[in-house]
Amino acid sequence: MLDSETLAPAETARGDQGAEAVARSPWPVAAPALGLALAACGGGGGGSSGGSPPATSSGAVTVVAAPPTPVQASRFLGQGTMGATSADITAVTTKGYATWLDEQLATARATSFWDSLVATGFNVVANRDNEAGWDPTVWRMLITSPDQLRQRVGMALLDMLVVGIGGINLNWRQFAMAAYVDVLWDNAFGNYRQILEGITYNAAMGSYLTFLNNRKANPTTGSVPDENYARELMQLFSLGVHQLNADGTVKTSGGAPLETYTPADVSGLARVFTGLTLASSDSSTPDRYRQRMVMNAANHETGAATFLGTTVSGEGVAGIKSALDAIFAHPNVPPFVSRSLIQRLVTSNPSPAYVGRVAAVFADNGKGVRGDMPSVIRAILLDTDARSDAALTSTTAGRLRDPIGRLTGWARAFGVTSPSNAWTIGDTSSTTSRLGQSPGRSPSVFNFFRPGYSPPNTAISAASLVAPEFQITNEQTVIAFVNYMYGLVLNGAGDTKANYTATLTKAADSQALVDEVNLLLAAGQLPAPTVATIKAAVDSIATTATNGLQNRVNAAIILTLASPDYLTVK
Amino acid sequence: MSCFEHDQSRRAFLKRSSVLGLAGVAAPFATTLGAIGEAAAATASDYKALVCVFLYGGNDYANTLVPYDSASYAQYAAARQNIALGRAALDATALTPANALGGRQYALAPTLAPLLPIFNAGKLAPVLNVGTLVEPTTKAQYNARSVKLPPKLFSHNDQQSYFQASNPEGATSGWGGRMGDLFQSGNGAASLTCVNASGNAVYLTGKSALQYTVGTGGPIALLSNSSTLFGSATVASSLRSLMTTQPATLMGAEHAKISKRALDTYAQVTGALASAPNANFPLFPTGNNLADQLRMVARMISVSNELGAKRQVFFVSIGGFDLHDNLVPQQPVLLQRVADALRAFYDTTVAMGVADRVTTFTGSDFGRTLQSNDDGSDHGWGSMHFVMGGAVQGQRIYGTPPAIGNNTPDDVGQGRLLPTISVDQYAATLASWFGVSPGNMATVLPNIGNYNPSSWNLGFV
Repeated sequence: MLDSETLAPAETARGDQGAEAVARSPWPVAAPALGLALAACGGGGGGSSGGSPPATSSGAVTVVAAPPTPVQASRFLGQGTMGATSADITAVTTKGYATWLDEQLATARATSFWDSLVATGFNVVANRDNEAGWDPTVWRMLITSPDQLRQRVGMALLDMLVVGIGGINLNWRQFAMAAYVDVLWDNAFGNYRQILEGITYNAAMGSYLTFLNNRKANPTTGSVPDENYARELMQLFSLGVHQLNADGTVKTSGGAPLETYTPADVSGLARVFTGLTLASSDSSTPDRYRQRMVMNAANHETGAATFLGTTVSGEGVAGIKSALDAIFAHPNVPPFVSRSLIQRLVTSNPSPAYVGRVAAVFADNGKGVRGDMPSVIRAILLDTDARSDAALTSTTAGRLRDPIGRLTGWARAFGVTSPSNAWTIGDTSSTTSRLGQSPGRSPSVFNFFRPGYSPPNTAISAASLVAPEFQITNEQTVIAFVNYMYGLVLNGAGDTKANYTATLTKAADSQALVDEVNLLLAAGQLPAPTVATIKAAVDSIATTATNGLQNRVNAAIILTLASPDYLTVK
Repeated sequence: MSCFEHDQSRRAFLKRSSVLGLAGVAAPFATTLGAIGEAAAATASDYKALVCVFLYGGNDYANTLVPYDSASYAQYAAARQNIALGRAALDATALTPANALGGRQYALAPTLAPLLPIFNAGKLAPVLNVGTLVEPTTKAQYNARSVKLPPKLFSHNDQQSYFQASNPEGATSGWGGRMGDLFQSGNGAASLTCVNASGNAVYLTGKSALQYTVGTGGPIALLSNSSTLFGSATVASSLRSLMTTQPATLMGAEHAKISKRALDTYAQVTGALASAPNANFPLFPTGNNLADQLRMVARMISVSNELGAKRQVFFVSIGGFDLHDNLVPQQPVLLQRVADALRAFYDTTVAMGVADRVTTFTGSDFGRTLQSNDDGSDHGWGSMHFVMGGAVQGQRIYGTPPAIGNNTPDDVGQGRLLPTISVDQYAATLASWFGVSPGNMATVLPNIGNYNPSSWNLGFV
């Protein structure tokens, strides 16, 4: 059993001694992978390494190698932003991946979700009991905020550490939700332990997972503490249900997977999350929702709480700290969180080796720090499995683009703006007329799709692969998506529209046009026959026809968005 | 929506419906209703449909089917304290089953009142303490872990999957789909054997049968079925071609298959549903998404003959049952929606003349604790479910009434029920009615062999 005091990251019994040993070296990336990463970063041309890599002040390794090609840069941006733009492609090809990452990791937030709501005037009583302001705020942030890596990592965290605005049982829901995502965005380049702490004390999370005002046991009535947060904190936010090896594979005994926690652990841990209440009783403004919840000792369980081999007894916030420390120290956390992040950013079925390399960095970033998000992000995006072109010819690599990412990808590639700042895209949850997914509107703590989802009775499940995004893919949504994007591409939503000026300059040359759309939206991954089909379709629209050039642009974009070669990103 | 009159006769149905104001289609409505009846009568003489109504989140059983006899009620109230329902409120929905329960009596939750007449008419039956099991399990065996238990008990996604598929999340087929496997070759439109009106669920996918998802408004047209886009037929045809041509990647190929299914079945399903417009199904309340889903199911059943379907399995769902808090204010609202939707659906099948060919049953992740966490209940296991339909042997309560309280032989902690009827036995009973032979039962329910064959048919349908 685990005791947080004696547990040091590299001392746990883990299957992968190699990754452990390397993790303690000065270079946080496993040496063999680094060598391959050097070759990969060389791109199509000379793959030789460019000399000994100097360390940056953060301990990361700067690779001196041939610059990425535009196609490689677009692919990288598709993993590290909400969508590639021409300008960003140029920047990455000029600076290289590592420098671009360094700059993004050093970029402070331009504004917070909270301040954005205030700046756009939503802090008025008329909005106290509705969600007005949430959708425009989040779409504006995702599409236009310059700290794009933070946006992408923030969304990955929101997909894992789920709060859905509709399930927050507080007033000023848009502000409560904003305060929650601000915790994720503020800490996206911080430490995962701080993320766990931040969400535990957040009012929206307290409401969503029903531990706000959770009470200690009452022997008279027989009531016991609400177990919701204790369970989901372990199951979804940190450990998962099965014990994992360092490479994310499931530990088994006699062929059966080993469970991470028991019902008794859940009941024990539930006792710790008692007594938390809102910082203020003033509901006339939302301000209390961005203050941490405070401990009301009268409702806090004083009896012993035993879970995961640890016992705390009525220690209030010190007890919560002990609980979070114990969870954070569990050997499952590095592979569990690493695998989830890789799934959100790069590929649904990462190799155990890839997971292991990233998990090793999570466990120790090379400077003895566990849970260092910048190091983990670098490890994910610079790993050979993410950068090497080998994945481009695989039939099993990659992931189905999530619908939100398809919308933001189009929006960023084609310069969508909203002159009035209203960003009227709205709630895109509808499965019959929109995306079937909307940021911050998950229907449950299980998100729109589960990490372990495999579409039944398919070649994907037969190959023992998962494809989470297929959980929201069916005969309705595939049609609804094309219908919705057709409307957005042509007309936008309100005054939220694309700017096709640059693309129009290529519209008379169908090959150039299709190549441009392919580069921006699909990172050049449309195969030649698909490109040819789209080109021929574009050519069937005369440049001299009324709106001919614009329609050629529209056709190229819509045909690309509808193509399975675009929808699957490698 | 208020309760409807209890007169189930066809004349009464027509009379009721004409009063409802159907946006000016009174006369053609009556004709079409007659047409529905005729169509239903012309339906394959052996048409059968199973309809799974899944309550996502884990429905609190103790406030759904409430202990009502004095002694049981007292135990219930003592165990639940401030989340117990008041006894007086249960008087109107107390059940008087035809079978004796050794002095035990139950009442429906007050907002399930619309179901009471169906129970009294002998067409609805509660089934007690149904839950996921691998094999028969006693409390001692559970505590000792000396038998196989379903993995990841108390985890929502895994128990949703286990209920529907006999396997946790990641399951590759569900028992509804596995029934579809056995019957789809007898269906003219095999692709419409398993129909989901709610979204994705493993329940309806079989080893070869695939679920077909249809929205409450029917199939969606791709860009209004326009044969040209931007004035070009090439663009329109290229769009369909690109959407449906399978690339080399597994994920791309699967996406293309789904698009192809959507486009291929659009014309067939839309054409069939055109003869069964919403206006012909006026009993369904508005503002109730479960009712919308069941209305689509009713429409699909009404055109099953045109679609050449003889055996169909349907899935509908409603979420929101994970009431760790606000149980007493919130659950009745959800149960009202369930009752209104089920009642409308049953009455519609009666009007269609197919009530005895359609059996509806509920499912859920799990039941919940009996004990309160101050304003709600936590994840549990065994739960109470309902079966409804013209073929149901209703006005009876099936199963063994569990003991009420802590530390009873049925309690595995905080009043969580150890199931006495496994989902497999519940499902096998439904499957048997549907036409699955005992010899094929194990392909539908892989664990059914762990139960005595005499217990495979609980007799409720």
